[in-house]
Amino acid sequence: MQPVDCRACGARVLVEKKSPPHTSVQWTAAAGAACGEIAPRVAAGEPGARIRHCGALRASIEWAVAEGLVRIENPE
Amino acid sequence: MNHRVIEAAPPPERFARGWHCLGLADAFRDGKPHAVEAFGTKLVVFQGENGKLNVLNGYCPHMGGDLTQGTVKGDAIACPFHDWRWGGDGKCAGIPYAKRAPRGARTRAWPVLEENKQLFVWNDPQGNPPPPEVTIPRIEGAFSDEWSNWTWNTLRVDGSHCREIVDNVVDMAHFFYIHYALPTYFKNVFEGHVATQFFDGTSRDDAYLGFVPGPPQKIDQKSEAAYYGPSYMIDYLWNKAEDMTVETVLINCHYPISPTSFMLQWGVIVKKFPGMSAEEADATAAQVAEGVGLGFMQDVEIWKNKTAIDNPLLCDQDGPVYQLRRWYRQFYVDVEDVTPEMTDRFEFEIDTSRAVETWREEVAENVANGVSFSVIPESMRA
Repeated sequence: MQPVDCRACGARVLVEKKSPPHTSVQWTAAAGAACGEIAPRVAAGEPGARIRHCGALRASIEWAVAEGLVRIENPE
Repeated sequence: MNHRVIEAAPPPERFARGWHCLGLADAFRDGKPHAVEAFGTKLVVFQGENGKLNVLNGYCPHMGGDLTQGTVKGDAIACPFHDWRWGGDGKCAGIPYAKRAPRGARTRAWPVLEENKQLFVWNDPQGNPPPPEVTIPRIEGAFSDEWSNWTWNTLRVDGSHCREIVDNVVDMAHFFYIHYALPTYFKNVFEGHVATQFFDGTSRDDAYLGFVPGPPQKIDQKSEAAYYGPSYMIDYLWNKAEDMTVETVLINCHYPISPTSFMLQWGVIVKKFPGMSAEEADATAAQVAEGVGLGFMQDVEIWKNKTAIDNPLLCDQDGPVYQLRRWYRQFYVDVEDVTPEMTDRFEFEIDTSRAVETWREEVAENVANGVSFSVIPESMRA
């Protein structure tokens, strides 16, 4: 897995991309606490696992892929 | 020649820490003791005259009498052997033939919770009370006149550890091969004690699943299903046909009986359409539940014949089986031994493009050859 920093909050996660549509994201507790989208909703009582993704992080991952910072294992 | 060797350690002897649903609460409210075989023992469930539902060890600590064959007397359960009485708090509530009960006489009282009109019991091998943050969430539809009543079904599964059903959370491809669905989007998110499956799919032209009443038609399915703890899944389902959307909540839950058997249970409520009577809504829920039940039978058929496998060999289009099991392990270790990797947020979105392409071809071929599948009995088809 390769590190990606969120361009909104700076939280660092580990990302794996086997193909362009596939994405695997490993968070840490620190990244979760820093997240500007997920942390407030969890604080308000929503289970974090019911939140599909953080939009800012998703955009950051797409940016990192486009910049070649995250390698796609099988680009086909 | 090197070949893959399947590894399978014996199933864990301990039972998962967490809330386990025992069924619809009303089913236990008849003033009689109910036997529940669970967690390697027998439990007695009864309602005292004060209205509270209680769960105690099924055997009397006096001489081992079977309390499930006893009688409810006042707020206590009386043993059929010597009439010893046990209150819902586990304390001895009296021995009619004795001057006094032995000092500190107490049996095990299991913490209970009523939510969504269902009864839950808390299992913790360490004996700690249930932390509030792992409580069972409320389902609004279960308390609304706009929704049907719950259906409820049970199915005892012997010869399998309940991990088999939990594995389904990440198993995209089995939905096509076992349940005749066609997933187009599939994502898992695990965090804390909750594991979610986000699923979009479409009906197959070669299969009829009965999720929307009436004749077979094109249906788009959206599902958000989450395990809250080791055994209780709430699945919010939206089945969209041309002129209607059927909103359903499906409960898929289980409790372990022994390390190699468990009680699988499921229940359904559906949202009424405008003008739909309560009876019609209940009938629709029953039809959906029957379809779900037939789906589970297909799972069970697989489980009965498969082997346990600790080292599944996965392809890129499979879901995160290892990470799901890493999450699931948190319920089988002491609470002090739960590690961040078990509970830290993890997301996995599957690339479904290849699968969808292949499956559409297979469905088209079936249609061309007149092959079709139905998980609704012929008698119930329109």
